[in-house]
Amino acid sequence: MPYEHIKEVKDQARITPIEIFPDPKTAIVILNQHSGKPLSPLVAVGDLVEMGQKIADSKERISSPIHSPISGKVVKIGNIYSHCSETFMDAIYIENDGKKTKAKTLLPISESELEKTKPDALLNIIHEAGIIGLGGAGFPTHIKLSPPAEFPIKNLVVNATEGEPYDTADERLLIEKTANLLRGVKVIKKILGNPKVTVATKVSKAEAVPKLQEVFGSEPDTTVIAGHFKYQQGDASVLQKALFGYETPPTKRSYEMGCIVQNVATINAIANAVFEGEPLISRVVAFNGDVVQPKNLLVKIGTPISDVFNQNNIDMKDVRQVVVGGVMMGHAIPTTEAPITKRSSSIIAFSESKNKKEQKQTACIHCAKCISACPVKLHPILIYNAIMKPDMDKAEKLWNKDCIGCGTCSYVCPSRIPLASTIMASR
Amino acid sequence: MTNNPSVEKPKDLVVSPPPQITGTMSKTRVMAYTFAALLAITIITAILWWPAMTPHPDLDYLGLTGLFAMPLGAILLLNALIAVGVAVVSDFIIGKAAADSEINTMSAAVFGLIVALSYSIGVPTMAMGEMMPISMLSAPGCFIYVALISFIGLVGFKKLQGLKGRKLFNPAATAKLLVLLPFITSTFLIKEHWAPFAEGGLEVPKLASNLVTDYMGTQLTFSGYLQGCYGLPGAEPGSLNSIMLLTKFHGWPGGASSIAVIIIGAILIFFLRDYFKWRITATYFGSAIAMSLIMTGIYGGDPITRLLFELFIGSSIFLGFFMATDPATTPYSRTGQIIFGIGLGVLTVIIQTYMNFFGGALLALVIMNLTVPLLDRIGIHKPFGR
Repeated sequence: MPYEHIKEVKDQARITPIEIFPDPKTAIVILNQHSGKPLSPLVAVGDLVEMGQKIADSKERISSPIHSPISGKVVKIGNIYSHCSETFMDAIYIENDGKKTKAKTLLPISESELEKTKPDALLNIIHEAGIIGLGGAGFPTHIKLSPPAEFPIKNLVVNATEGEPYDTADERLLIEKTANLLRGVKVIKKILGNPKVTVATKVSKAEAVPKLQEVFGSEPDTTVIAGHFKYQQGDASVLQKALFGYETPPTKRSYEMGCIVQNVATINAIANAVFEGEPLISRVVAFNGDVVQPKNLLVKIGTPISDVFNQNNIDMKDVRQVVVGGVMMGHAIPTTEAPITKRSSSIIAFSESKNKKEQKQTACIHCAKCISACPVKLHPILIYNAIMKPDMDKAEKLWNKDCIGCGTCSYVCPSRIPLASTIMASR
Repeated sequence: MTNNPSVEKPKDLVVSPPPQITGTMSKTRVMAYTFAALLAITIITAILWWPAMTPHPDLDYLGLTGLFAMPLGAILLLNALIAVGVAVVSDFIIGKAAADSEINTMSAAVFGLIVALSYSIGVPTMAMGEMMPISMLSAPGCFIYVALISFIGLVGFKKLQGLKGRKLFNPAATAKLLVLLPFITSTFLIKEHWAPFAEGGLEVPKLASNLVTDYMGTQLTFSGYLQGCYGLPGAEPGSLNSIMLLTKFHGWPGGASSIAVIIIGAILIFFLRDYFKWRITATYFGSAIAMSLIMTGIYGGDPITRLLFELFIGSSIFLGFFMATDPATTPYSRTGQIIFGIGLGVLTVIIQTYMNFFGGALLALVIMNLTVPLLDRIGIHKPFGR
């Protein structure tokens, strides 16, 4: 099936090396960055914390702790806008003391120790490091990597397709941290019992492809596939169809098909945690859009997004829209006071000109383009009509819950009907 | 988790649901491309038709020439101006008057051109032998009918029909059938054209030759009849192939040059891709060809003549590209579109063969429109992995 082509705007960003962004004066660490219930703070106002110290956790199974990205003092526990949940969430405010004193949260291992380390110990490091799916889903990684024993994992897919049209953080990691990614993959292989590895990337990542072939090419049971993958094939189930031919029903998880798909940034974080003892307190964020110089920034989690604009000397008067986490699936945020979270893969700024384009919703012309464009073969306009009626029984019969939220239907709609967001909200 | 409603959004950032970017294709652009294609066909037909004057000088004895004799191409251009003008102005007035109605200038203009291109004008050479309503086929009579079809089609079948959501009937086709209903025997039925002059008229199923005798006492073959009908009035008719493929001088201006419609239609499909329901066009022509061959198998006769007759009469060719693919009145699903196209082809040939109906495609289209709600239901496919 042909997938809709989404124009990429990456030419500048993909050739710009990762730059270390200065630590914030005040870090604002949101309490639930993972997909699940919020954490409880382990610190109180006035407490002194060290960089990497665990500051909130939960006893819930589907949860992942968070750590202080800087050293300093807890000055407030209050709420702030979170792009993860699109609401105001509780957060821990930490004032930077500038000392960068590090806490010894994790016990790293050396590469030679990996072979004799038990999977449970590795999973524990990943859990304690607060690693979640950094591609945007935010599912705790230690749970994803512990599939039930009755489902042996045959395939590990490194999802290096990064189809979001403005995002380049993963691509820079592929180029600059290739060896570290291999270390991360080895950790996952150890945990999952040596599955075959498929690194799936795009030919358009011209600088990354040879690096991947060089580093991963000689590894046993490892294939590097540089394909003409489309944006929609970045979805785990759609990618598996491209690689292995089968379609995963939405009722099943990937592991039931014997496959685990991991995102690049997550694998990088795993390697940092296991071998360097670094909890997840920073991530690479692409800064792109209508900006003069797109960048890839290694930013501390909790850094206010406004810092990124200030440091790049961007006058907020020129900015009309700020999107976090990708233009197709991410969210437009109402305020730049909101902080960077583990799920902020990119910050995309748009000026007035982008919003002057024809965006007004008009009546459906019944062209059925949304139906032919849907990568999971849904009927977006029929589901939308059922929701608007409202006739939720009909929407369910049309499998509204199977929507992967890729946004392709809204993207192609000539009448600018908000199909994807309406269907996602109805799930 | 707390939710603090007191914190206000700064006014300057636009918050909209994902995705934040849209494709380059918009409704206006789809309509503009379609309009450009239709305009190209209009211009080509106007140029091809310029040498033909209507009413034809041979009609002198009826006292019709002189007053409004003008090139057929000019009549088409005037018709196009009238139809587009009426549609766009009506759309504008309705849009201003009714609060919940959108003004779709481009869409109305496309509709107007379709009306002009599907309105039969011209006077065939042997029209003087037929009971053809000449005032409808040439200026100034045709102007009134074109304006009427454009107005009724836009107000009744585009706007009023659209109030209930999905439209059932193709506005241009239905309005044309409705307005021309009083003239159905003289404009659509082949047999009736000839009834006063030839016993039995044409027998389409057999493509029978020598059955008709024209008013001069000449015996005509079936293809000779078509040549006379569609050839350049007053000139020695060209071969049936060249008439049917290159230039017909009577009937729908939209299908005057079959080859031009095919080329322009193909270019439009290339530009619009999946925004154009090309599966209907493909299956329509496919099934019409198949049906035509089946008919030849049953009744004999020259397969090429039959093919030319079934595919290009009444400008099925224009209908197949530009009317049968009207997105609003055709199925959503691919399966539905394919069934729709096949049904249209089969019905067209049956109507043209057994009902002696010129332009059976028009009637077939309105009939097939009725099946769309059903086709939308059976065309639902299962999603990924289900």
